[in-house]
Amino acid sequence: MKSLKNHLSVILPLFVLLFSLQFTFLTNKIVDNYENKLTQDYSIVVVVPKTLSKAVIKSRVKGIKSIEEISSKKILDRLKGNISSKNISLLKIALPKFYSMKLKSFPSIKEIERIKKKLLSTGLVTKVETFSKTHNKIYNMFKALKNTAFIFSTFILIISVLLMFKQMKIWLLEHRERMSIMTLFGAPFWMKSAVLYRLVIVDSFISTLLVVIAFVLLPSIDKINDFAQSMNIIIPKFDILKDSGILLGVALIFSLFIVSIVIRKMNKE
Amino acid sequence: MEHVINAENLTLSYGRDEPIITEGNLKINPNEFVFITGKSGSGKSTILKSMYGELIPKKGDLNVCGVNIKNINSSKLNLLRRYLGIVFQDYRLINDWTVEKNVMLPLMIGGFSKGVCVKQAQKLLKHVKLLHKADKYPLELSGGEQQRVAMARALAHNPVMILADEPTGNLDEYSSEVIWDLLKNAKEHLGTTVVVVTHHIPSTLGIDYKHFFLESGVVYEVS
Repeated sequence: MKSLKNHLSVILPLFVLLFSLQFTFLTNKIVDNYENKLTQDYSIVVVVPKTLSKAVIKSRVKGIKSIEEISSKKILDRLKGNISSKNISLLKIALPKFYSMKLKSFPSIKEIERIKKKLLSTGLVTKVETFSKTHNKIYNMFKALKNTAFIFSTFILIISVLLMFKQMKIWLLEHRERMSIMTLFGAPFWMKSAVLYRLVIVDSFISTLLVVIAFVLLPSIDKINDFAQSMNIIIPKFDILKDSGILLGVALIFSLFIVSIVIRKMNKE
Repeated sequence: MEHVINAENLTLSYGRDEPIITEGNLKINPNEFVFITGKSGSGKSTILKSMYGELIPKKGDLNVCGVNIKNINSSKLNLLRRYLGIVFQDYRLINDWTVEKNVMLPLMIGGFSKGVCVKQAQKLLKHVKLLHKADKYPLELSGGEQQRVAMARALAHNPVMILADEPTGNLDEYSSEVIWDLLKNAKEHLGTTVVVVTHHIPSTLGIDYKHFFLESGVVYEVS
C-alpha cells in the first residue's frame, strides 16, 4: 500500500506534465497543419505594367514560393458584348498584367508588410493587394490559440513541478534515516540513492505509457472526432516511436533532476 | 605494534559549543577489549562518534586503523567504515527492510554476491537466535531482539573493530547475555578489537579488558 502510494505520488505529477506537453505538441501540430492549408489558399496579387521576370522578383523578395500570371481573358470576355472588337484589342494592349504570388509559409502581419514594401521598392510592381484584413484576422486567431496552449502548458508545468517538489520533501523525510544508516556503514553514493533512482525510472516509464495510451485512444473517441470534423481539423496521428521517445526523455530528465537535488541535499546534511 | 586507535590531545565539540572532550588521549591495540565509561553527558558517545568519523576533531590527532580522521575525505571515510562494525544504543535498523536484509547491509556494501550475503546473514541470525524472524521487519521485534539484529549486522562482514554504544543499555538479561557473548567471541575467535561505551561493566564477563574513564572532558586510563 505504501509502495503504491509512493509510486502514485510520482506518477501523477509526471503524467500531468507529460499530458500537457503532448497536448501542446498536438495543438501546435494542428495549428501547423491548418497554417499549411491556409498558406496553400493564400496569395498576394500584384499588378505590373509589363511582363514580370519571376526569377528577378524571387531573388529580390524572400519568402515567395511561386508566381503565376492571372489571365486577363476572363475580364475581356465579359466586356466583349459591350465594347467593339477593335477597342477590345486596344484594351488588351493597355491592360496591366496581374500575378498571383504564393508564399512559402503563412506570413505574420509584419512579414506581409515587408513583402509588400519590398515588391513596391523593386520598381517593377505598381500595386500590391495582400488581402490583409482577412489575413490579419486569421493570423491573430492563430496567435491567440498558440499562446493559450503555451500558457496552459506552462501553468500545468508549474503545478507538476510544485507537486514533485512536495513529493521531494516527503522523500527527504522518508529516506533520510535509511540513507544516514547506510552512510554509517560506508555505503557508496550510488547504493544509497539506488532506491530513489529506481523508483523514478520505473515511474517515468509508467507515466509515459499512460500518456501514450491516452493519446492513441483519444482520436478514436467519437465525440472528439465529431468535434474535430465540425471544426475542419484533422487530429494528427500519434507517432509511437518519436513522440513516446520525446515523452520518455522528458520524464526521465525531469524526474532524475529532481531526485538528484534530493540526494544532494541529503548528502550535504 | 601499530595501534588500531591512537588519539592524542583530542578536542571534540558539536558546532561552536563548548568542547565536550578537552584532553582525549587513548591508545587501543588490535584485538583488545576496551570499555569507555563515565557519567551521563561525560562524552562517551561523543568519543565513539569521532572514531567512526561522525564527528571530526577540533584539535589534536585521531588515527583509526592508520587513517587520520581529522583530514579524511568522504570516500576514504566510506572505505574506513566498511572495516568497522557499529552498534548503536537506538539500534538504527532500516525499518522498511526485513531483519535478514538489515544484517546483509555491510555485506551488500562490501560488494558480496546475494548468495553469500544471505548465507552469512542467516548464519549470524542463528548466532543471535533470531533465524526464525529473518523475514520480519524491525518494528515487529522487541527492543532486545532489535539490538541482537543490530549486533548481527555489526558482525556480518567480520570487521576489524566493533564500536558499540551502550549495546545493552535497555535490554533484558537474556538479550544482554547474547550481546556480551557475541562481543567476547568476536574478540577471542575472530581477533576483532572491541570498543564498548557503557555505564556499567558486567562483572561476569570473564575476559581481560582495558578501561578508560571520562570525567570533565578528560580521558583517564584505569589500571
